Amino acid sequence: MSDLEVQAELSDRAARSSQPGRPRRIGAAEGVAGVLALFLVVAAAWPQLLAPGDPLGIDPLSAFQPPTLAHGFGTDESGRDIYTRILHGTQYSLLIGAAATAIGLGLGIVLGTLAGMLGRVVDFTVNRFLEVLFAFPGLLLALLIIVIYGPGVVTATIAVGLSTAPGYARIIRAQLISVRSTAFVEAATVLGRTRWQILLRHILPNTLAPLFVLATLGIGQAIVWAATLSYLGLGAEPPTAEWGAMLSAGRTYITSAWWMSFFPGLFIVLTIVTATVLGRSIDRRMRHA
Amino acid sequence: MIGRVAARLGGAVFVLWAVASITFFAVRLIPGDPAQAVLGGPGSQASPEALAMVRNEYGFDQPVLVQYLAQLGRLATGDLGRSYALNQDVGPLVLSQLGGTLLLAVLALALAWLLALALAAWSTRGGTVAARVGSGLETVAAALPHFWLATSLIVVFSIWLGVFPPVSTGGATGLVLPVLTLAIPLAGFLGQIMRESLLLALESPFVLSARSRGESERGVLWTHALRHASLPAISLSGWAFGSLISGAVVVETIFARPGLGRTLLNAVTLRDVPMVIGVVMIVAVVYILMTLLTDAATRLADPRLRLS
Amino acid sequence: MRHPARTHRLLAATTGIVALGLLVAGCTPTGSNEPIGEPQDGGTLTYASGDAEPSCLDPHVGGNFPQALVSAQYLESLVSRDDAGQIIPWLAESWTPSGDALTWDFTLRDDVTFTDGTVFDAAAVQANIAHLQDPTTLSSTGYLALGKVASVEAVSPTVVRFTLSEPDSALLESLSQPWLAMESPTALERSQDENCASPVGTGPFIVESWVKQNAITLVRNDDYTSPPADAAHDGPAYLDEVIWRFIPDSASRYAALQSGEVDVIDNAQPDTIVQAEQSDSIDHLDSPRPGAANRIELNSGQAPFDDVRVREAFIRTANVDDAVSSLFQGTATRSYSALSSVEATAVSNAAVFDYDPAAAAELLDDAGWNETDADGYRVKDGVRLSVEFPVSTNQSIPAEQSVFEQIQATAKETGFEVKLAPLDLSSWYAALASNDYDAVSAPYTKVGPDVLRILYHSDSIVPAPSGYFANLAQVSDPEIDALLTTAARTTDADERRDLYTDAQNRILEGFYLLPLYDQQNHYLLRGDVVGLRTLPTVAVPTLYDAWLNR
Repeated sequence: MSDLEVQAELSDRAARSSQPGRPRRIGAAEGVAGVLALFLVVAAAWPQLLAPGDPLGIDPLSAFQPPTLAHGFGTDESGRDIYTRILHGTQYSLLIGAAATAIGLGLGIVLGTLAGMLGRVVDFTVNRFLEVLFAFPGLLLALLIIVIYGPGVVTATIAVGLSTAPGYARIIRAQLISVRSTAFVEAATVLGRTRWQILLRHILPNTLAPLFVLATLGIGQAIVWAATLSYLGLGAEPPTAEWGAMLSAGRTYITSAWWMSFFPGLFIVLTIVTATVLGRSIDRRMRHA
Repeated sequence: MIGRVAARLGGAVFVLWAVASITFFAVRLIPGDPAQAVLGGPGSQASPEALAMVRNEYGFDQPVLVQYLAQLGRLATGDLGRSYALNQDVGPLVLSQLGGTLLLAVLALALAWLLALALAAWSTRGGTVAARVGSGLETVAAALPHFWLATSLIVVFSIWLGVFPPVSTGGATGLVLPVLTLAIPLAGFLGQIMRESLLLALESPFVLSARSRGESERGVLWTHALRHASLPAISLSGWAFGSLISGAVVVETIFARPGLGRTLLNAVTLRDVPMVIGVVMIVAVVYILMTLLTDAATRLADPRLRLS
Repeated sequence: MRHPARTHRLLAATTGIVALGLLVAGCTPTGSNEPIGEPQDGGTLTYASGDAEPSCLDPHVGGNFPQALVSAQYLESLVSRDDAGQIIPWLAESWTPSGDALTWDFTLRDDVTFTDGTVFDAAAVQANIAHLQDPTTLSSTGYLALGKVASVEAVSPTVVRFTLSEPDSALLESLSQPWLAMESPTALERSQDENCASPVGTGPFIVESWVKQNAITLVRNDDYTSPPADAAHDGPAYLDEVIWRFIPDSASRYAALQSGEVDVIDNAQPDTIVQAEQSDSIDHLDSPRPGAANRIELNSGQAPFDDVRVREAFIRTANVDDAVSSLFQGTATRSYSALSSVEATAVSNAAVFDYDPAAAAELLDDAGWNETDADGYRVKDGVRLSVEFPVSTNQSIPAEQSVFEQIQATAKETGFEVKLAPLDLSSWYAALASNDYDAVSAPYTKVGPDVLRILYHSDSIVPAPSGYFANLAQVSDPEIDALLTTAARTTDADERRDLYTDAQNRILEGFYLLPLYDQQNHYLLRGDVVGLRTLPTVAVPTLYDAWLNR
């Protein structure tokens, strides 16, 4: 099982255990998550709106300042404002997360569709291939890719995308197989539609919504992995205002300047919780719609 | 039965071969001179004679295919080769690191189970507020990145309070922070799944009938519901183990703890090909074993599966 | 020797020879000065190194700083160097060069045995030099240092004669380095694997065991007789045992020291040094390394730095002073010299390195870089003024990487695009070998000013077969070559100093390098560790005089 499949399983259970037909009002957690998501999207799209400063602007003489009114989250070793850097860093994290998810999901769709639609030989081959990939648990596959192509944001994004792909592929395959055996698809088969017509007209529309949920849940995972790679010095390079890279720089000064690593980490956690809560909420709503 | 076991074993061998091949070619794609990597303790100026000797000794002057076949041949006989960076046989070295990582993973898994069970049991019986708090805690815990949790725990427990050492070099107290770092996020995942299953179990017919037989609420919870609720969590343990090994890369590095994770990261940065392959192979073997074990455990624990 | 950088202090003096008196302060711990009683025997000291774990404990093999750190506890050299920079006796009692400086006779101590019982004598020295010069040993640092040694013969059991191919004014300095330490010839006959795991020397401690990726255990040599001339006591060491650990993460290392898990750490980071100085329980030992200062070399072999005006503009646009004071928080002093401040021959010239963006802009205009593109960078003939700057993350500590980031930010104001690329060691070597850099920082430790020849003689531009070359500024100036070659052959101290002074002035005024600070080498120790000092050769600690006041 992959991290993604666990997330999907949890979301699935949460959705099943909630009672159908319960009031559609928005819960407190969903409300907070919605506001946070809005905040993060604004910060990613128009960071200047919320933090007018320069995320790379140095001011050596005001280095290592603890949180004050002037610097809400303190300053780093070169006197850069951490709040400004975190807000400007949102676009990196969300973009990396989205891009990695797109790569993983895209590959997952291709592999999953091949396995789910093309008969036993292809299914067997793809499954063996996925099994091999699953033998590199967690970050191991991403680490291998990074070693080959060298560190950097682009490689890290691709590495995370590739290492999440097997998870997506397996879920999509399972979904295709279950949709394929539903009554209306069987009816369409009886009516003489070709395999690909059925795929486009009937199966894909029925798997799209779950895919959206899956992507929302997966983006959180992708962000953590990308940040972990940056933290290990293999992703975004300093002085880029990427959260994992900021945390990595902060680790050196952890005994004297805790704020340098606390706040970027806090934003990573908030982003992931937001993605999880929203993903599950959408999941539940779509099932009960 | 024998057929199924044979198929499983054959599958495992296939996966190992594929893992070895992928790793070999992957690491070979790295630009740069591996002979330099062998001699490249930071700061050494390798003489031409030394480079030539190393190329010959390690076979770098051979075609890649020959090197690959030689590598497979050695792997088949259980010889994992010789580490470039540490000048030692990889097999014994990796095995000596395995224990530390397994200990860490097993303790973290056990603690995560305990935490998750306790939280699930409390939050399902404590009313709506407890349920919400429990679910909130679990969601946040599951979102905590290891590297952030580790540094935060060091700041609070080592630097501010001075209770636990920040490095893990033998000794029981040194294990506390690394185990907590790995266990807390995992407990978040396990807790969510246990709570959902527990809620379902508490409303299931067999629990109702136990209640109607007059069994105490506590008895019902412990003997029936929790056991039932553990099933999905057992099947998660294979995954959990894999994610613990990957988490060990970060945790062992931060806590300066000897182990597979730290060895792997070192080998990756030093481009120590035999070492990377060795660690990945061992992880794959252990991971495949764990998956087989959890499958078996799920079958044993779930009467329905045992029959089928 | 190239190796992982640390950082540090230099003298903001005016041009001239650095005064020696200023330097001695750095070599004993500062901090608690409460009265201490008589040294106590016994106890276990735990040392935590931030350097990489060596792959071989015999510093003849390869030869890097991590090996020097640990091997100084169990191996000893023929000679040593005192705080004033004078060569002093160690395993050799005295030495005499011939008139033409081509043969050197060393008289050895006759009362020393290796810890495996083998006698230390002329034949042992011969075996060691042979071991270093044997290509299969894979020595680099020691091998290079012995480049001019043609042969070694035992004149008598206590007299050994070195014959040189040409005069070598750096011979004694070379022999003082831990990479040329003496090992038991009996032990050297074992396989290299065995010798790497447990080298045998004459030192105050013995390698008892080495659990890789965990710790090296050293135990006291009870029969020890051969401390260097500047040691504080005679006889065996005080400590029973030394546990040598590797904790690469700097924050964890300091936290482990604070909690008492370990007693001594190296590679202390600036913020932890500041904390330690405010603490009663932790002392600070600052001991800059010899050889070159930490500096940024500008590649004069290709555009844009082949133009001296562009090199000067880059130096004028780098606000190093503010960067050093904010990032090193007073623990490092700005350097204006190519050499470490511990080198008596170091020339420091602050005037060459003034921060002056206006002058920089003028120089760039003169040099034809007078257009500006949309991103604010200067352009000439459609090419952007870019500086490729590969950074070795193994060799530059985080604070140093931040210095580079700040230089990047200030250089941008004048229109330089500095492209910092953090790389692992092998990719970094590869970038240098393929000439894929315009600026680079590469630390180099060697005892004595002969390091200048390695770094700035045009011969060092020719890459070794490994692709590496030490003259990274690619200085190719016949006059500098002549000065350095002559200095390396001149045994008269005053004449040698004058030659090195001239050479350094010419190098500094050519704007080939931007000095930052001495190679930082800070140790932090628990307040109850007494008597720890560093060897003035390459500034590695020696635990021989250390004892625990518990």
